[in-house]
Amino acid sequence: MNAIEIRNLSKSFRGMYAVDHLNMTVPLGSIYGFIGENGSGKSTTQKLICGHLVKDEGEIKLFGKDYTDPGVRARVGALIESAGCFPNSSVYQNLRMQALNLNLADPDKEINRVLDIVRMTDSANIKFKSCSLGMKQRIGIAMALLGDPLLLILDEPINGLDTDGMRIMREILIDITLKYGCTVLISSHLLGELEKIATHYGIIRGGKMIAEISAKDMEKRARVFVSLKTKNLNGACEVLKQKFGNVRIEGEFIRVYDVESSEDIVKHLLENGHVVSQIEKNKVGLEEYYIELMSKKEEK
Amino acid sequence: MEKSYELNFEAPSFLKRIKGMLSVDFYRIFHTPLFYIFLCIAAIIPAMILGTMGAEGGEALYTNAWNIIAANKPLYVIESIGDYANMNMVFIFGGIMVSIFIGSDYRSGYVKQLFTTHAKKQDYMISKTITCAFSMACMCITYLLGGIAGALFAGNLSFEVDVFSLACAIIGKMIMSIGWAALYTFINVILRKFFGISIALSFFFGTGILIIGVAGIFEAIGIPSVLLNAFLYGSSVFACLDCGIFPLLSVLICLAVSVAWAMIYIVLGTTILSKSDVY
Repeated sequence: MNAIEIRNLSKSFRGMYAVDHLNMTVPLGSIYGFIGENGSGKSTTQKLICGHLVKDEGEIKLFGKDYTDPGVRARVGALIESAGCFPNSSVYQNLRMQALNLNLADPDKEINRVLDIVRMTDSANIKFKSCSLGMKQRIGIAMALLGDPLLLILDEPINGLDTDGMRIMREILIDITLKYGCTVLISSHLLGELEKIATHYGIIRGGKMIAEISAKDMEKRARVFVSLKTKNLNGACEVLKQKFGNVRIEGEFIRVYDVESSEDIVKHLLENGHVVSQIEKNKVGLEEYYIELMSKKEEK
Repeated sequence: MEKSYELNFEAPSFLKRIKGMLSVDFYRIFHTPLFYIFLCIAAIIPAMILGTMGAEGGEALYTNAWNIIAANKPLYVIESIGDYANMNMVFIFGGIMVSIFIGSDYRSGYVKQLFTTHAKKQDYMISKTITCAFSMACMCITYLLGGIAGALFAGNLSFEVDVFSLACAIIGKMIMSIGWAALYTFINVILRKFFGISIALSFFFGTGILIIGVAGIFEAIGIPSVLLNAFLYGSSVFACLDCGIFPLLSVLICLAVSVAWAMIYIVLGTTILSKSDVY
């Protein structure tokens, strides 16, 4: 069973498709990184799954059931755009209201549990409007975590956070999945951050899903490359192409793909009169995969 | 090792859902200043009318203190401020309170949290109607207390009244809160993107200008004004000190009209909410 299964989902605004016959499969227990440019339809898709927007056509199934089923919806939590909290109420009061709405048997215990998960036990009495952006995002996740959800839908929860905030958020999301068996659908522009936590990826463009890939498959297709800098990029590139084949210039660097040792490259360049000023070994990751995918689509 | 998940999807019953949503709304009512501010406003207004507007062109605005609560007769067409200024004014402030209450649901994004979970659109309409009706009924009580205090302060008003008729008039008006709350909830739900307009429209309907105008036309062409009791403002006016029928019947009329309109607005609001985006 999959946590989310979407078939042929469409949503238009004034005749323009924001989501265009989208198909999507989010496996149970996964952290699904949802990637796309601004206006690609990520947020609209998430809002449709949450029931905030009315779909034009298509099918959304959560845990094999229709997404409007109240039983299923009771196990869904979301942080879409903002935490949805009353600014003049305290963190505790906001959580208390959500706990009441969910008819939780022991609201206080549950509030303490989620505050502990998001590392905000000491901030319960602060007014929501006085919280920092990072705190607000964590409160939003705490709200979403009330009622023991099986599916969390998070729209750009790490954007705007500082390094420490991102690290905390990352730890929280991994905790949620591992300890509580929650499936997480998370959208973000920060591919490097997503790469650290996601088990699956979905790439959306123009409202259509252009690729879905697991982190394992991404790892399999990952290619090693050496990135180096010389004074004469074009000359050095030609020299390297003769020996190593798969070489190309990326900005101020030359990339040499599928090589085991960087020593051979440096030696070969020196023999041909090129001095290497900077060199490092890298792997083609999510960002490169994404750029490659986007450029392919642009060419088409 | 494969993780095991407890995939338990027990759908909460209607009663459980409503209980949850009502708990939130009442929690909000009692834990934010809005409700208490409007209770005070409801108490201050009659006290101010009796205290500062005690005379109009040298003549007293009222001779009987209880006219600040309800008119002697069902006055659909008003001729002076004294005819108009009674407990029906609670429904004007009430409309503003409902606009602020529902408006903050949307501005804060709280509705997104609500509709992400098991809450249904009809639950929202019903819960807001009940909570706001309760608030307006409470405002009727503080209005009553403010009115009594103002009358005592004025000192020159008669307190002579048929207690049963007065009680029926007050209960009738309090019951009308249900219909008014549903109307305001409906207005604020359909105009959720236009906070200013929803407040203005709530105020407009609350003043009863529409029904007062229709009453004028009815009077001019000879149609019995009693037909206006089918509307919220009409029934609110009908709940008076001498409505011409057994007072308890006026309470029943108020109940029937109020509940009927509440149901209409809840169904309409639910339909519109279900067919439109939350934002």
